[in-house]
Amino acid sequence: MPLHPALDPQYFLLGHCALESRHAACCASRSTLTKVGPGCRDGASTAIHSEVALEDLLREYLPILVFLVIATGLGLVLILAAVVLAPSDADPEKLSAYECGFNAFDDARMKFDVRFYLVSILFIIFDLEIAFLFPWAVAFGDLGDAAFWSMMVFLVVLTVGFAYEWKKGAMDWE
Amino acid sequence: MESIILFAPLIGALLCGFGWRIMGETAAQSVSTALLFVACVLSWIVFLGFDGETRFTHILPWIESGSLATDWSIRLDRLTAIMLVVITTVSALVHLYSFGYMAHDENFDEATESYRPRFFAYLSFFTFAMLTLVTADNLVQMFFGWEGVGLASYLLIGFYFRKPSANAAAIKAFIVNRVGDFGFALGIFALFFMVDSISFTDIFAAAPDLAEREVAFLWTTWPAIELVCLLLFVGAMGKSAQFILHTWLPDAMEGPTPVSALIHAATMVTAGVFLVCRMSPLMEFADWTQSFIVYIGAITAFFAATVGLVQNDIKRVIAYSTCSQLGYMFVAAGVGVYSVAMFHLFTHAFFKGMLFLGAGSVITGMHHEQDMRNYGGLRTRMPYTFWSMMIGTLAITGVGIPLTGIGFAGFLSKDAVIESTFAGGTDAATFAFWALVVAAAFTSFYSWRLLFMTFFGEPRGDRHAHEHVHESPASMVVPLAALAVGAVFAGMVWYKPFFGSEQKVQEWFGIASGEKHAQVLLIGAARAAEEQNDASGEDSGSGAAALPGQGAIYMAPDNSVLHDAHYVPAWVKLSPFFAMLIGFALAFLFYVRRTDLPAKLAANQAPLYQFLLNKWYFDELYEHALVRPAKAIGRFLWQRGDLGAIDGFLNGVAMGVVPFFTRLAGRAQSGYIFTYAFWMVLGILVFITWMTIAGGQ
Amino acid sequence: MQTGDLSIILPEIVLSVFAMAGLIAGAYGGRDRLGPAMIWTTSALFAALAAWIGLQGAGTATAFGEMFTDDAFARFAKVTILLSAAAVLLMGKGYMARCDLIRFEYPLLIALAAVGMMVMVSASDLMALYMGLELQSLSLYVIAALRRDSVRSTEAGLKYFVLGALSSGLLLFGASLVYGFAGTTGFAGIFEAVQGRAPVGLLIGLSLVIAGLAFKISAAPFHMWTPDVYEGAPTSVTAFFATAPKIAAMALLARVVYGAFGGIVGDWQQILAALSVASMFLGAVAAIGQRNIKRLMAYSSIAHMGFALMGLAAGTVAGVEAMLIYLVIYVTMNVGAFAFILSMERDGAPVVEISALSLYSRRSPTRALAMLVLLFSLAGVPPLVGFFAKYSVLLAAVEAGLVWLAVLGVIASVIGAFYYIRIVYIMYFGDEESELDAGGSTVLASFLVVSAALMLFGLWNLAGIEGPAAAAASTLVR
Repeated sequence: MPLHPALDPQYFLLGHCALESRHAACCASRSTLTKVGPGCRDGASTAIHSEVALEDLLREYLPILVFLVIATGLGLVLILAAVVLAPSDADPEKLSAYECGFNAFDDARMKFDVRFYLVSILFIIFDLEIAFLFPWAVAFGDLGDAAFWSMMVFLVVLTVGFAYEWKKGAMDWE
Repeated sequence: MESIILFAPLIGALLCGFGWRIMGETAAQSVSTALLFVACVLSWIVFLGFDGETRFTHILPWIESGSLATDWSIRLDRLTAIMLVVITTVSALVHLYSFGYMAHDENFDEATESYRPRFFAYLSFFTFAMLTLVTADNLVQMFFGWEGVGLASYLLIGFYFRKPSANAAAIKAFIVNRVGDFGFALGIFALFFMVDSISFTDIFAAAPDLAEREVAFLWTTWPAIELVCLLLFVGAMGKSAQFILHTWLPDAMEGPTPVSALIHAATMVTAGVFLVCRMSPLMEFADWTQSFIVYIGAITAFFAATVGLVQNDIKRVIAYSTCSQLGYMFVAAGVGVYSVAMFHLFTHAFFKGMLFLGAGSVITGMHHEQDMRNYGGLRTRMPYTFWSMMIGTLAITGVGIPLTGIGFAGFLSKDAVIESTFAGGTDAATFAFWALVVAAAFTSFYSWRLLFMTFFGEPRGDRHAHEHVHESPASMVVPLAALAVGAVFAGMVWYKPFFGSEQKVQEWFGIASGEKHAQVLLIGAARAAEEQNDASGEDSGSGAAALPGQGAIYMAPDNSVLHDAHYVPAWVKLSPFFAMLIGFALAFLFYVRRTDLPAKLAANQAPLYQFLLNKWYFDELYEHALVRPAKAIGRFLWQRGDLGAIDGFLNGVAMGVVPFFTRLAGRAQSGYIFTYAFWMVLGILVFITWMTIAGGQ
Repeated sequence: MQTGDLSIILPEIVLSVFAMAGLIAGAYGGRDRLGPAMIWTTSALFAALAAWIGLQGAGTATAFGEMFTDDAFARFAKVTILLSAAAVLLMGKGYMARCDLIRFEYPLLIALAAVGMMVMVSASDLMALYMGLELQSLSLYVIAALRRDSVRSTEAGLKYFVLGALSSGLLLFGASLVYGFAGTTGFAGIFEAVQGRAPVGLLIGLSLVIAGLAFKISAAPFHMWTPDVYEGAPTSVTAFFATAPKIAAMALLARVVYGAFGGIVGDWQQILAALSVASMFLGAVAAIGQRNIKRLMAYSSIAHMGFALMGLAAGTVAGVEAMLIYLVIYVTMNVGAFAFILSMERDGAPVVEISALSLYSRRSPTRALAMLVLLFSLAGVPPLVGFFAKYSVLLAAVEAGLVWLAVLGVIASVIGAFYYIRIVYIMYFGDEESELDAGGSTVLASFLVVSAALMLFGLWNLAGIEGPAAAAASTLVR
């Protein structure tokens, strides 16, 4: 198992995307894209808000704060649990990376198979798809036909790309 | 018909200049000559059939710029008709003459070089430019012709482009003419500035107004009319080789002799006289300038005659003679008898053209020897040439029966000039009268001197050359004969319409008749009272507008010189005749009877002789006062200014600074992404910093 | 979402559907055998769309909550983009075939890039702007690296991608700042919010947005990728890079600065003028040292973008009109010049060294003459059309009071004339006979000759582009 997720490109990208998708989901859940609520604002915009608005803003971020605390806590608990509870009889084979990964501490300018990137890039697309689909599905009851067909178009476009990559053999490892 | 006259030479020039490779040299020469003869015949038809009423022929719209609207059109009045005849006749004959004269030329390689079509093309082009000048109905068109003849003159003077002296003479002619042309151009600008038009009709109509206006120029204010006329006259001075700007004309004799006959005797140099006559409606209001013209003309006539006395080169003698005769014409124009100026121009074209052609005949006969000291006794060897030169000399010296209208052309016209000058009455005119009479004596002397030295006495100089003297071919003799007819009869036939009868003059030039003159006087008075009385202003305005532009020339109501000239005392009428006799007698004494006298006189009066021989040291004066400083300035600007500063700067930038930056840019383009990104970030930093400091105003 | 909105973006929809259908057809059908046919079809579709858009009536329409604007300005830019893309696509066909690069994806990627460009020029919201820009950029990244087995081509693609990502990031950061200070992403809203005095933060955002767009038009100092990419990419791709995307990015820049920041002309004017001067001089100076004609054209395009920016910097209707005219003329000249470069071959292999053109005039007089006309026009020598392009932007700058900018422009133009005329010199007075092939495809020859002829005959009324350009400019500038 990789010791630090951030050092692994694959995982790093995954984690990054997860954050992005959360943010996008938050934005997408609002009724329009241009008139975004204060919850999605960047910190830079606070300068032109009154104090009341600032309080509102903080209140809206409270769940995220709670979420962060729980996530951090859970992560710490799990890591510490592994350290405390797991049997520790390391051998070189166990410490080495899995077949799909790289040595964790090594020269960054090494050659490796481009297929790793291909897979991760293809993954991003569908990750994004999910990121769009979730809020859409949650708010589906309140949305009209236009929203439904928009998503259909989006899926068709995505499918076209998927069909292309499949046919071109991007999915085949060999 | 006027259009055909105007464009026939142009077509001839183009066909001859560009088409000779196709049609062959002789055919090309013949085509241009034939077209000139067509133009010549048509010109005589126009001249003889012309009724004095000004006609306009529109050709094409030319320049449209702001309020400047110029058409290219022909103004045909008496002045134009006279000039048409003069130009096309002399030009056609010179074309014909050139067949013989240019047949062989040692300046070119006969086998490989085709110089003849070029020569004919230039001649025809010159004719076209000159015709454009005289047919112009506005100043810009005239200026076009003016510069065109200047160009043709330059090309033809420098025709022997391998001779350094010919090139120098061509450049000299061009540069000296620039001085005059600059004045002319300024005059046109001034007129356009004040009248807002450059059409003759509008300018003449505005002449009375101009007479009352003032204009700021250089350091002070001038009466508008004087300034304009003076500037125009400066142009005329350059073109007509008048005193101060005369130095180019004798040098211009470097060109082939037919060129001298056509351009530097009969036509182009008279353009200045033509200009003054054409501008008579303005000149009449400019008293001060008129006096100036008279002084300059008289000085030129006298000065050139004195120099002509001692020159030895046959062409130079005639060149100074031309210069002198042009002075006569300007004097006549200056005192206000424009018809007489034109008269002398007209007759002069015939006899001076003939003298030049005769000289050319002698020069070819003598194998391009031009020094008269090496001539002598050619009378029997070249009889036709001798007789034509004789007629020319009789004409220029003014031989005729005094107090009658019978005589050679020069007799009638020159006497008319001198009588009119006496009648002018002003200080300037009196001075001019005496200068012209003395000049007449000198004219007679140097003309007879030329004739005696060339055709009489013993053969001098290279014996070999004298043995091979031969009469010129028919193509050269025929033009001499044709011009001889003019030199004999031109004066007698057209004496009355040019000078003899006031009635005829007015009819001929389409001038308002006597009653109308009276009207002019009345209107003049009314104009004076215009300020007080608005009611009469309208009437007089409409009446006066037609007046100064009417007819070919304009003589102010108070100008009675033409009338007075007929009633001058008899001694005045006889004076030029006696002056001529004195000149003849002295020449006969010096060059036939006592041929040792000239050398003795020259030895006795060495300073005077040298002074005259060196043309009053004008060339030396200009050399020191103008040419050398100009060259020094030119060298400074060239070496230091152009080569040093401008080229140095540009070369420094082009070969030092720019390549430096090119290398710098090349080095910046390292190929590494981080360098590129660094530059981008740097750019953004600069922008953000700049916006933070300077933005948000 | 109304059908009205859809009808406004119908050309874009048509092109997108075509691209996707082509993708499926290519993948499941003929594969690369479809390539040539696909190029023809795409070109024809471009031309048809250009005609369709060009013949649409006047007027302004917006769609999707004012995210997308269809006005005279957008139509003018779209027609130019589509026509130049069609021309370049056709021109490059022979070259791609010889280099064995004909893949059916190539025209489709260009089609997708064209969709992106069309969205860019119609964008009236920072969101739409970014969407169009990225669609175009991603397509271009791929096209730049089309020749996968060439080190230079992949290097070009990678450099372009990495730097493009950087510029995208800058632009996004700038856009977020603008949004933060203006409270909206719509251009109309920003225009209303930003009048007269603007807070410094917003100006920083503006600077970043302009910097991001300056990267796309390769204005100095954001130009560094251009020579490498132009050199590395296949020549037909370079030709495309030098034409349509430049118009799109320039038009987008014009839309941003006038549509959103028209209230603070004085502020962005300084940035644009600085970019303009830097580009003009860098383009002129750096091109002198080039031996490779593609790199030279890269610097040439940098310099030309500097001139177009000058028109934009004028901040007037006349300035925008001059810029549009300049772009159209620039594209026409470049199409001709690249038609010439594409035809430079020795024994069937492409040649890019300028020295290879030595005495080319003897080998192929007509083409040398046509190239001479184009080069003189590029240099801005009167009486060719290229001169009038420069003249109009200089005039606009002078009339807007930016005399110093116009003077610097003239100086840069003089320096720049050197390297164009040097090519002419080499073609006509070189040392040794050129060994380039004299033949060549008629397509290229006709593009070359037509383009050169336009430089001469376009003098008459500038081929009628002034009217539409004026209309386009007046709808943009409020």
